[in-house]
Amino acid sequence: MVVLAGRLFQMQILYRIEYDKKSTDNSIKSLELQPLRGIFYDRNYKVLVSNNPAYTLRITPAYYDTSLNKVLESVLGTEPGYVKNVLLKNRIYSKFLPVKIRKGVDFRVIAWYEENSDHLDGVDYIIEMQRFYPEGVIASHTFGYTKEISPEQLTKEKESYKPGDYVGNNGIEKTYEKLVCGVRGYSYILVDSKQRRIGKYQEGREDIPPKKGNDLVLSIEASAQKVAEAEFEGKRGALVAIEPSTGEILAMVSAPDYDLNRFSYFTPKSYLDTIYSDPATPLFNRATMSVHPPGSTFKMLAAIAALDMGVIDKSWTITCTGGFTYGRFFKCHGSHGTVNVVTAIEKSCNTFFYKLIYKIGLDNWKSYATRFGFGNATGIDLTEEVAGLIPNEAYYIKRYGDNWPKSIMASLGIGQGEVSVTPLQLVQYVSLIANNGKSKVPHVVRGYIDPETEELTQLEYKEINTGVSQSSLDIVKEGMFLVVNGHGTATHIKLPDIEICGKTGTAQNPHGKDHAWFVGFAPYENPKIAIAVLVENIGFGGTHAAPIAQKVIKAYLDSFKGENKPIKSEIAAVNKH
Amino acid sequence: MRIDYNIKDKFDFGLFLPALILFGFGLLAIYSSTVNNTFAQENFQRQIVWGIFSFILFFVVYSLPTNVFKSLAIPTYLVSLLLLIAVLAMGKQISGSKSWLVVGSFGFQPSEFAKIATIFAVASYLSRNNSDIDSFKDIIITLAIGFTPVLLILLEPDMGTSIVFVVIILMMFFWKGISSFSLFVVLSPAFVAVAAIFGTIYFVLALLLVIVALISFKKNLFFSASIFAIGLSSGFFTDYVYHALSPHQQRRIQSFLDPNADPLGSGYNTIQAKVAIGSGGLFGKGFLAGNQTQLQFIPEQWTDFAFCVVGEEFGFIGSIIVLSVFLILFLRILKLSHNTKDEFLGLVAIGILSVYLIHFIINLGMVVGILPVIGIPLPFISYGGSSLLVSMFMLGILANLYRTRKNYT
Repeated sequence: MVVLAGRLFQMQILYRIEYDKKSTDNSIKSLELQPLRGIFYDRNYKVLVSNNPAYTLRITPAYYDTSLNKVLESVLGTEPGYVKNVLLKNRIYSKFLPVKIRKGVDFRVIAWYEENSDHLDGVDYIIEMQRFYPEGVIASHTFGYTKEISPEQLTKEKESYKPGDYVGNNGIEKTYEKLVCGVRGYSYILVDSKQRRIGKYQEGREDIPPKKGNDLVLSIEASAQKVAEAEFEGKRGALVAIEPSTGEILAMVSAPDYDLNRFSYFTPKSYLDTIYSDPATPLFNRATMSVHPPGSTFKMLAAIAALDMGVIDKSWTITCTGGFTYGRFFKCHGSHGTVNVVTAIEKSCNTFFYKLIYKIGLDNWKSYATRFGFGNATGIDLTEEVAGLIPNEAYYIKRYGDNWPKSIMASLGIGQGEVSVTPLQLVQYVSLIANNGKSKVPHVVRGYIDPETEELTQLEYKEINTGVSQSSLDIVKEGMFLVVNGHGTATHIKLPDIEICGKTGTAQNPHGKDHAWFVGFAPYENPKIAIAVLVENIGFGGTHAAPIAQKVIKAYLDSFKGENKPIKSEIAAVNKH
Repeated sequence: MRIDYNIKDKFDFGLFLPALILFGFGLLAIYSSTVNNTFAQENFQRQIVWGIFSFILFFVVYSLPTNVFKSLAIPTYLVSLLLLIAVLAMGKQISGSKSWLVVGSFGFQPSEFAKIATIFAVASYLSRNNSDIDSFKDIIITLAIGFTPVLLILLEPDMGTSIVFVVIILMMFFWKGISSFSLFVVLSPAFVAVAAIFGTIYFVLALLLVIVALISFKKNLFFSASIFAIGLSSGFFTDYVYHALSPHQQRRIQSFLDPNADPLGSGYNTIQAKVAIGSGGLFGKGFLAGNQTQLQFIPEQWTDFAFCVVGEEFGFIGSIIVLSVFLILFLRILKLSHNTKDEFLGLVAIGILSVYLIHFIINLGMVVGILPVIGIPLPFISYGGSSLLVSMFMLGILANLYRTRKNYT
């Protein structure tokens, strides 16, 4: 009797708290409520990336008969053994906890389930949110996709994530993961000893609703982006358009791309195989990661350097007789006669720039290239980016020794040889030219909207200032104006109402057909858009790249006129969410 | 010799009120643990019906002429043996053991009936005029009377009830005034048997202790050797019984040794019961407010684990009240058996006390996790017709003894 009373005293008085905690843990279960990821708007608040309900098929192993595996596999269209494998992976959890068998299943499967649910004990489905792209804008490399968190990332961020969570894997989804992911909520329920749900704990008063992620306002302009994507259908290459005064990316394409819808939750293995084995490497973001010689688009850099340094002025001329000899003969694509810097840009005279780079000097040339952002990552708010290469004397000394052949420099003057740049770097350079030597770090996100306060917070980006004299830039811009509007290499893209300035380029490609470049900006006064277009393995830039640039420029500038604004009712509805 | 016609003289409220209070606690516990369980909801009403029957039975037994018990002792015992054989032949198997006889919708456990019958039979034999508790013959015959039902019950198999029988017999021996050597003779095989459960080393150590004790008692060699042989064989018998136990009973013994080894298996009840009681605290969580109870973390809590409801919902204070009521009841019975001059009736009272006591100890020891899970009910509190009827029947006998205690001086 004393022993029993003592034991009761020990349990109920001394260890009461411990038992109390166990008792609570026992019966009150928290259900995680997944937050909605933030929506992505374009610069005019069109919804580009949203959330849509999708069906997830589940199995509760305790009530499930594994002889149904075959039936389910055939209905889901998966390989044999799929259901068994998923169940095996999840057998460490309680048999009464449902296992997600397949996310994003077809409505056809759900209809089949509804008809046959009597024979499908232990099978059910829930509705979960998955990414949805209402505007028909692809921008796969820019948006990126989410993916189930990897065990490595999970160990690093135990506080924020749980197994099975989806996190941004690339693109904006990755860079802005912390802003858009939202905060998980909890619903407390009472369960009995078999984990069966009895009801809500305290009628849900203690529940913590999930907090939706911040909505992002992108700098992308939907109509320009769509035109750009359409233009690249069936081509390989990249396009980046930027607002010169702000560094905001207006459109960004890397072609070929891939279908984000297929990545939003469940990615069929067959699709992944296709993507991975495609020689055109669709997962690779050419806009920020492909490096090629810039070709003639680089001529403005030499011109700016020479003008800014004062080694030439606008009246300084050379005579082009179809080439230039420095150790060996470097040819021009024509005999341009007497050319000054403006004409040299207009006609893309190689001879002028062969000569010019020797006047500038290699290291000075590199220093100007660096001021325009070449040779370094731009710092764009997308994780995948490469730096490219701008050689200097040290580079060639290292490679060829102290007596390195100076003839190499001639090619650099016209953007060929070892110099390599990304489309993004090129557009940044053009926008710096267009905006009088100043801009901001290129970026795709302007700011974010807190879903509770509905206030927009602008994100700040670093200023870039090349420190180049205005007069040098004006001379170069005049040349670029004449490329399209004078007697230059891209007069075929001249528009009656828009003054496009530009420069064509062709990147020599030892492995196949040359790559076509076009860089440009518009309008000539107060430029609103700068653009760089790369079309791989196709030939001359003026022919293949310039028309694409023209169409995107037009689409973007037209968007100000209130034309291209198809705000459909359903988009408006999504906007309200 | 009637002195005073006073109700208190004829009716022992010291016996009746504690039983009534405990039954009341039982009803609260059963109500609380079944109110949310659609399959067991009617158990509360059933228990009330059983309660009415058992109180009627109590008064019937209370009113019987006291000498009936002695004259019916042997016939009752024989009938109970027949019933135990019958249950083995045609009993209904419930959770692994064949202990229920079912007639129509009415089921009962012959082993419950056999408890009373065996108490009568042992008391009757030990209270013979010429009995000598220290004689080898008396010990052997008493043991035979007591252990025949135990063997039959072990075959069901029902471990818990068997233990109850062993304790009853030992308590009655002790009351009769057995000498320390005779007690040793009776206990040594049991001692060796229990040691054998824990393994060979303990078995050998126990045998060595028995040898030391036998030497110190200085009895003749043949007699000592016989005792040793019995001890030795009981050890092997234990091993045999352990392996003959059903797997679920073996698991229960293992899970007692380490309940957390299998938290969702047989250790589950112990853990959940401890959590229920421990989380009750000083004042409890309040009637119908215990989450362990209301969410049915303890399977069939209204039967053997009914005390958990008291612990969780009425806390330490409620638990101590229940314990105190039991204590009052036990002391009252002890006093009664002491005051009863008739040796047979005194032994019966002690037998009944031992039944209550061992149920109380095993059941509470189990729910607070200091004894293994052996499924026996808590008298007056746990749900169940058989248990309640037998408890009240025995209480009726005790009340009857009180009523006529002065007639037998």
